[in-house]
Amino acid sequence: MNSASETPTRQRDPRVLLIVPAYNEARSLPRLIEQIRSLHPSYEVAVINDGSSDDTAQVVGQLPVRLISLPCNLGIGGAMQTGFCVAREEGFDVAVQVDGDGQHPVEQIHLLVDGLLRSGCDIVIGSRFLTGTGFQSTISRRLGIRIFSVWLSAICHTRITDATSGFRALNRHAIELLSRNYAEDYPEVEAILVAHRAGLRIAEVPVQMSARTEGVSSIGKVRSIGYMVKVSLSLLMSLIRRPNVAS
Amino acid sequence: MQAYGHSLVFITTLIVFFFVLWLVRRRAIGERFAVLWLLISVFLLLASSLGYPYLFQIAKLVGVPYPPSALFFLAIAGLTLLIIELFAWVSKLNDRTRVLTQQLAILREQVERGQGTATEG
Repeated sequence: MNSASETPTRQRDPRVLLIVPAYNEARSLPRLIEQIRSLHPSYEVAVINDGSSDDTAQVVGQLPVRLISLPCNLGIGGAMQTGFCVAREEGFDVAVQVDGDGQHPVEQIHLLVDGLLRSGCDIVIGSRFLTGTGFQSTISRRLGIRIFSVWLSAICHTRITDATSGFRALNRHAIELLSRNYAEDYPEVEAILVAHRAGLRIAEVPVQMSARTEGVSSIGKVRSIGYMVKVSLSLLMSLIRRPNVAS
Repeated sequence: MQAYGHSLVFITTLIVFFFVLWLVRRRAIGERFAVLWLLISVFLLLASSLGYPYLFQIAKLVGVPYPPSALFFLAIAGLTLLIIELFAWVSKLNDRTRVLTQQLAILREQVERGQGTATEG
């Protein structure tokens, strides 16, 4: 609009929102938030408390972050989508998902944000398999991830190695799209396809993840099979589903 | 035996018909579903009374040897459609509830932040 304010060599810093979905993560959140605050003081942090039954709300209420408490449990998809809605409505330039369980490396958030801003892509995914260092998950899970990654790479004509990684950064286009189209459970894989079908560009950057510090994974051994079936079916369905456009 | 088959369907459907009317009167069922059920009842009432002779012809035409079977087939097909309709409706309600839950949480945070800054200032 005002060209004089945009011409200076250094553009205004992008407004970054870190979205931390949390379900019963009262034990790991204080440390995580402290790390984020010290490493990235300029980023805004919103914890989405997904109807936790422990004292997540009280614990986060004491921390210097925004707390958005869902009145009932919507699942990871619904919680993340809440964060995307906040980012959309408040005009954030970048939204980054950082899981509340401590698996996502806080010190590498800037890799995602820089990758997003430099590459001109709409979504940047932090992949733990590009360098092959850090926590690599179990063999059976790696196999599952590999299947989805190969599948998605073929559809999207982009090399995707870590399709299930939730550690990702979105720009405004992606925020706009995913705040209106996001699966309820296990949304990560499907979101890549939704974004690709909407013409968004997706890239990966290498990151190192660690094993979760507290709590247990939301996906147990038996449920892993269900996960594979569900995600496969929703991938097929999202190939025929019409996107939900702005209302 | 054969003569009573369709009367049984007729009586049962009549009960369903009045039960739906009673539910509408008590405002216990939404118009959307009431209309559907009433249409189904009327269709089955006609099929099992006035339309029963035609049912023989139709059954013969499509190759069903026992006419009441054709009636059952129609009833099951209708119920299947109704269940799919219900699934679609539940999905829609689920979507709406999700959006409402999200917006409620976002608005509540905004209000609480507003109150926080108001008391601080």
